[in-house]
Amino acid sequence: MTGIGIISPLGNSAAEVLGNATAGRSAICRIDEPWCKRLVSPLAACVKFSGDEHFDAPKLRMLDRVSQFAIVAARQALDDARFDFENANRQRVGVFLGTGMGGSQTTDDAYHTLYAEQSDRVKPFTILMGMTNAPAAWIGIEYELTGPNLTYSTACSSSAVSIGEAWMRLRNGDLDVAIAGGAEAPLSFGALKAWEALHTLAREDPFDASKSCKPFSKSRSGMVLGEGATIVVLEDWERAIRRGATIHGELIGYGVVTDASHITRPTVTGQAAAMRAGLQAAGCVPASIDTINAHGTGTQANDAVETAAIKQVFGADAYRIPISATKAIHGHLLGASGALEFALSLLAMQHDILLPTMHLEIAAEDCDLDYVPNCARHNVKFNTVMSNSFAFGGTNAVLVARSAQSAAVRCAEGN
Amino acid sequence: MQTFERLSKILVKNYKIDPTRLTLDGPLEELGIDSLGMAELLFFIEDEFKVQLPFDPVALPTLGDAVCYIDGLLAAQQVTETPVIAGGAPPAAPHRPV
Repeated sequence: MTGIGIISPLGNSAAEVLGNATAGRSAICRIDEPWCKRLVSPLAACVKFSGDEHFDAPKLRMLDRVSQFAIVAARQALDDARFDFENANRQRVGVFLGTGMGGSQTTDDAYHTLYAEQSDRVKPFTILMGMTNAPAAWIGIEYELTGPNLTYSTACSSSAVSIGEAWMRLRNGDLDVAIAGGAEAPLSFGALKAWEALHTLAREDPFDASKSCKPFSKSRSGMVLGEGATIVVLEDWERAIRRGATIHGELIGYGVVTDASHITRPTVTGQAAAMRAGLQAAGCVPASIDTINAHGTGTQANDAVETAAIKQVFGADAYRIPISATKAIHGHLLGASGALEFALSLLAMQHDILLPTMHLEIAAEDCDLDYVPNCARHNVKFNTVMSNSFAFGGTNAVLVARSAQSAAVRCAEGN
Repeated sequence: MQTFERLSKILVKNYKIDPTRLTLDGPLEELGIDSLGMAELLFFIEDEFKVQLPFDPVALPTLGDAVCYIDGLLAAQQVTETPVIAGGAPPAAPHRPV
């Protein structure tokens, strides 16, 4: 992985995001919109972002917020990778993007026009702004990339899937470079109400709204929606070395396994199977994993099931492996979460930091592992990280990566 | 307000175009409004001038072409004293204020 671009509630650059994640600064807050009084808990993790700083007006008119995030994150990632388009075969560069809800703000606006205003004046760009593959398409257009341009929509695991699927294409030699990640902009009134109706959203913390999402805590009450995009540049190891790229880490495994049992209820079996599949693809034994970035949504169902699944896979090592759940502070970015957490995990590994799980005062009885509660750990050298992303619909995706230093050593040894 | 000024106001407000770039013979594509952008511009024109355009796309390469087209519709509207439905399109839908 040679490039990272992040637009997120924790900041709009990799350095800023890592700094805030390390400090445990929560971006979750009460949102202030006229319709908020109709929400039970008007909470969200918003991105500080203005599209007109990044796009000229005629183009901006065609971009839902989700596409704006995706394009700007892709620009950052490609700048970070110092990607040389002059010498690239653009048909061997693919775009792989995950999003759960696509241009949901645009769709919400159109419904408002039709049903609230009782007007037939639906805007002409509604389809092209709302369609789920718009963010990926715009990235391809911006850089004239003629390789595969694919969008994955597997709810909350979408961008872990997109990165994993991109990695498989690279590993097969189908591509030279993949631009992969996820984008989500779900903070419209309609989307928030729909999530609220499912009873998955957190109650507001009575003392501090920013602490409302509490993964693995006894007092956890649900997730908080967030928005943003994370894009990474993946390329073959040898190619990256040849061109002298800065390597953030090496993706070495991807497991994807489906629950196929219930549309929302997670299963220990499915999550554990995905982790095992990720380990198998990486050629790793469980004990070789140094840290896990948990899916850790803060919902009753996920956190207990994920803890049990980690125990099933890692056995006694489960109690040794530090687990971070960063959704406590950046919220749940749905289809963009997997990519953000994967990138954050690699950035933390580069800087020898174990990221904290914030707002974890008393862990739940069935959540009894080391979640790095409330305070980051510094100067911890580690080489292998697992990033979990699970989803409504049951598509469980797991990414496994190792540090660039350890990858270099292993490559020199022929592994 | 004359048609050119009203149209210019739409372009400045929605597309953030520098007013000094707006001339009658200037191609709209050079202002960043291609054939797809035209679909949206026509939507704004319908709202601003309270006319309904034909369902089929209209080719208006320059600002001057757009002005002539709108003036033609407005003139026809004055004759009939009812909202103009160009090209035999169905009755006008409710308009939202711009």
